[in-house]
Amino acid sequence: MKINVFGTNISALVCAGCLAETGNEVVLVGNRENDRSEPGLVKLLDAQIDAGRLRISNVFDIETDYQIVSFNSGQCAEAKAVAIELAKGTKSSRCVIIRSNFTMGTVKEIEKLSKIDCVVNPDFASDGRAISGFMRPDRIIIGSRNADALQRFKRLFSPFNRNQNVMIEMSPESAELTKYATNAMLATRISLMNELALAAESLGADIEEVRQGIGSDKRIGSSYLYAGIGFGGTHFGEDLERIQQIINPSDAKEGLLQAVRRINEQQKEVLFRKVWKHFDCQLEGKIITLWGISYKPNSNSIEGAPGLELIKAFLNQGARIQIFDPMLDINFMIWMRENLSLEQQSNIQISSEMYDVTQNSDALCVVTEWQPFWAPDLDKLKELMNTPLILDGRNLYDKEWIKENGFTYYGIGR
Amino acid sequence: MIETNAYANLNKLSDSIKESHLKTLFESDPERFKDFHIRMDGLLFDFSKQKINSKILDELLNLATESKLDEWIGKLFSGEKINHTEGRAAWHTALRDVESPRPEVAEQWRKMEMIVNQVHNKQFRGYSGKAISDIVNIGVGGSDLGPLMITHALDKDKHPHAPEVHFVSTLDAQQLQKLFASLDPATTLFVVASKSFTTIDTLSLAETSREWLQEYAPSDSAVMRHFVGISTNPEKMSEWGILPEYQLLFWEWVGGRFSLWSTIGFSIALKLGMQGYNDMLKGAHAMDQHFKNTPFKENIPVMLGLVGVWNTNFLNLSAQAILPYDSRLKYFASYLEQLEMESNGKSTRRDGSKITYRTCPILWGEVGPNAQHAFYQLLHQGTERVMSDFILFSQGASQSERATFHQNLNVANCLAQSRAMMIGQASENLHKNYPGDQVSNTMLLDQLDAYHLGMLVALYEHKVFVQSVIWDINAFDQWGVELGKKLALEILEHIEGKSVENLDSSTAGILTNIWKQSNED
Repeated sequence: MKINVFGTNISALVCAGCLAETGNEVVLVGNRENDRSEPGLVKLLDAQIDAGRLRISNVFDIETDYQIVSFNSGQCAEAKAVAIELAKGTKSSRCVIIRSNFTMGTVKEIEKLSKIDCVVNPDFASDGRAISGFMRPDRIIIGSRNADALQRFKRLFSPFNRNQNVMIEMSPESAELTKYATNAMLATRISLMNELALAAESLGADIEEVRQGIGSDKRIGSSYLYAGIGFGGTHFGEDLERIQQIINPSDAKEGLLQAVRRINEQQKEVLFRKVWKHFDCQLEGKIITLWGISYKPNSNSIEGAPGLELIKAFLNQGARIQIFDPMLDINFMIWMRENLSLEQQSNIQISSEMYDVTQNSDALCVVTEWQPFWAPDLDKLKELMNTPLILDGRNLYDKEWIKENGFTYYGIGR
Repeated sequence: MIETNAYANLNKLSDSIKESHLKTLFESDPERFKDFHIRMDGLLFDFSKQKINSKILDELLNLATESKLDEWIGKLFSGEKINHTEGRAAWHTALRDVESPRPEVAEQWRKMEMIVNQVHNKQFRGYSGKAISDIVNIGVGGSDLGPLMITHALDKDKHPHAPEVHFVSTLDAQQLQKLFASLDPATTLFVVASKSFTTIDTLSLAETSREWLQEYAPSDSAVMRHFVGISTNPEKMSEWGILPEYQLLFWEWVGGRFSLWSTIGFSIALKLGMQGYNDMLKGAHAMDQHFKNTPFKENIPVMLGLVGVWNTNFLNLSAQAILPYDSRLKYFASYLEQLEMESNGKSTRRDGSKITYRTCPILWGEVGPNAQHAFYQLLHQGTERVMSDFILFSQGASQSERATFHQNLNVANCLAQSRAMMIGQASENLHKNYPGDQVSNTMLLDQLDAYHLGMLVALYEHKVFVQSVIWDINAFDQWGVELGKKLALEILEHIEGKSVENLDSSTAGILTNIWKQSNED
């Protein structure tokens, strides 16, 4: 089948690559600039281009059967421009598949402008696991009111629906809201766990034990129950905000989702607060090492990352910062330039080695759960650090093991 | 004043004009407004509804000249020690000299800016590491009234990241206890503003706040993260425990009631941001320049002061009403109560001799539309002759239809009241007879923002100074408030010792009753 995929984000690249891999003839209307951010993506795209099934171009055929819109959420205008182009076509067998996470109502507009039936198919795969998420999805949500369009969509996606049927059909509005609601639910679980972590701390309980206890309840399930230093990225915050906008005109004023956001903003600074209290509110001249900046492992994305809030908080109290992150990138340098004074920038030292970076430091904050951080050489750390103090923002460690090795240990909720 | 030729001439002139009704001045000269108003950029001063004519105006100007007002203005601006009873300058104009600031003033601006930005960027941290969200300004007199008046008036212009700013001044601690009930100690910052840092009112409240924080904070050093001190006395601040980086300074040449221009204005800067604070200084500086450089006849503070002297000493008016037609100026009259009455409420001349003429009138006021339903009855039909200042802004709350309607209504009311007071309305039924003939000024400003409010406050400061020169008063001391403070300490000792020995029978009687009551409780 012939397909156009519009967009340059990871979701678009993965979609184009995976559909090409299953034998389709795909034109990616965009570019590959984001291909390094996702594990396996470069290889996938290279292979499909070599096989001749994937082309990257700015020119596209408006009569192509499948037009997949995968722009970023903010690119509604681009999507509408494509829709207007498509309206010039005549072939009735075409369908538009919208995988972008646009604001409510955009789908209707695209349908009207393009004069083609649309199918809403939200992308649930999380960054870092985008390819497997596409190839072996938990569920494929299909929002459409048109039976023909539905059939066409099912035909295209049948290779990813072989083991058992995971397709769920619903109205386009429900499909859109399902996407927002999924993120809102996950974000809410995280903020709830972070609130419970506070309770655990004051009770002397361990939130990790509590997590296992409640996660084993089938009604609850065990995923997204990790207390930590707050969620980053753009999706959760964006979708919380969107649902809030939809709720606002109604009478509901209790603000659960606002609380979820506020708790998360507070949580991003939780390691700062622990260090601040540990040193009795005096951080002038202290050296703080951060392991990890990206908001999750295997990614260079720092958008909304808790590490950035920590950097600002520590620098403002006169501390110095030392950073190691395996994928630290130009985007971090840009962030520094835009958010920090020259003097503050001069108080940041970036290292390319996870142990060297801890030299002389008064605290080690584990910010991102990159795999190399899971089993650190404590002897080495103790030798290098000025103060043996570990703040485990992801509850990676057996706290007793850390303490037995002579470190002061702070986790989240334990 | 009384030794001048102008005084004698004005006395003569007053006899005839006292007899003529204010409305006849308008009837005999339809162009009266033209002769009796002054404009400067941003402000119109209309004093045509005063009982004066051009002869009186000239003699008032002579009075200013004979009183050597120009020399005194020179002394004020050059920082001479014109507060001779305390051996200090009264150099508030130097605090707002945005064109060529003194280095020590600019240094404190920078320190203020640093703290203000930390608070606005949510990087000023309390004991828990959470960012400060609420400010409690503890101060009395000038350390309270100025910042309270300005922050209330300019609430609409607050910085998008401004913390909530609360004010506490009364030593009964009622305001403070109310705040404790609603504030989070982890995110509350106390600003302790006291010139000497010994004022018992302020320090007792600061101490109560410190005890409140000690209940929650893990250590004493953590508690001190919640206190910014503002004083002329860094030693006392350090002694109390204020961290050096949280000490803001001003100087002995800044009088309490002129201190909002100094670091005492910190709460204002927290609310408005440094930009808003600077705009306020700029507005005041513009008024300073006008006052210093404009010939007296065109000089608004000079004329405002002279008209007041005319009313007080020649027409024998004894009260001054302040009537702003904008609810945002709710605290403006209280602010002026201190500025005018603490400055000129005196009966001793500069040389120490007793004054034989009247000085500062009793001043009070209220937002105009509210006052209309309160004390305007007295202004229209009472036995007291009162001078009024109407304060009005050209620009309303917004451009919307409803806002324009309300603004028109507001303007109409303001102009109606000053006109009714002037013209009156005769009736044979004395219950419905309005004698009129009550004098007033009207100040029309372009809009209520930091710049124009700075200008307005500086206008009244200079008015007060002009009058103090004519009355031969030191406007910058306040010995009158000392006796009460001293007696309070003595009585406190009596209370703590439960003794009424050597107290007058009234004081003793009241104390005995208080003790009886608390025994029964």
